[in-house]
Amino acid sequence: MSANSDGGVGCQDALGRLYEYLDGELSEDWTEKVRSHIERCKRCYPYFNFERIFLDHIRSLRLGPETTGRLEKRIRDALEGA
Amino acid sequence: MTRDRDKREQFESEALVHIDALFGLALRLTGGDTARSEDLVQDSLLKAFRAWDDFRLGTNCRAWLMTILRNTFINEFRSAQRRPTPVEYDEVADRSVFAEVSAVDPEGHFFDRLIDKEVIAAIDGLPDEFRVPIVLSDLEGLSYQEIAEVMEIPVGTVKSRLFRARKRLQVKLLDYALEMGYLS
Ligand SMILES: [Zn+2]
Repeated sequence: MSANSDGGVGCQDALGRLYEYLDGELSEDWTEKVRSHIERCKRCYPYFNFERIFLDHIRSLRLGPETTGRLEKRIRDALEGA
Repeated sequence: MTRDRDKREQFESEALVHIDALFGLALRLTGGDTARSEDLVQDSLLKAFRAWDDFRLGTNCRAWLMTILRNTFINEFRSAQRRPTPVEYDEVADRSVFAEVSAVDPEGHFFDRLIDKEVIAAIDGLPDEFRVPIVLSDLEGLSYQEIAEVMEIPVGTVKSRLFRARKRLQVKLLDYALEMGYLS
């Protein structure tokens, strides 16, 4: 990677912003710098890719429907007295 | 009297219908504690009922209720946190899951082999200070700033907690996957 192609961003700069980048918390400027670095860097790309797969997995967890019939009854009773 | 009944009926049809979603969030925030989650949902809905006159119909009721529940949980959480807790050594901080699997599974296919119930159990088992930021960020989609406001901690602390929480979770999931033979 050349210093010009990614605005002088090195591996440490990119790695230190790993989750901020994946969480969409970086400024536009930094997002572009990090994106451009990892697209070119053979060391950072697989690591960022792995972390993105991990986060996608957590974010797509299906939190199954919870049965709350007993609780709903309890709350309806409490509301009557409220 | 009629007015009270109208209010209650309106509340039941607009707010109480979100009870499953509220209970789901409560379970994840409390780490799967059913009794505590039920109390949390009840406290939150009673608070919402008392504030119902101030709530504008037509705005997002579900989001409003979720916020009340999060705040109710965090208030309890903070008062519990006032008790001094022993400083624990972060034994997983030095492990890099990616480094451990990169030779055999660099794209993390083992995550796909874990069923949701196992991943949720791993999240539930994290200590509070790590579980709560993960739930708020990855399950609820809050920004760092929003998490910082809810938890009343600096944004920098949110970042470091999330980092450590995700690393811990990865280690738990990897250890489980290894035990199950998902990487072989
Ligand atoms: Zn790099």
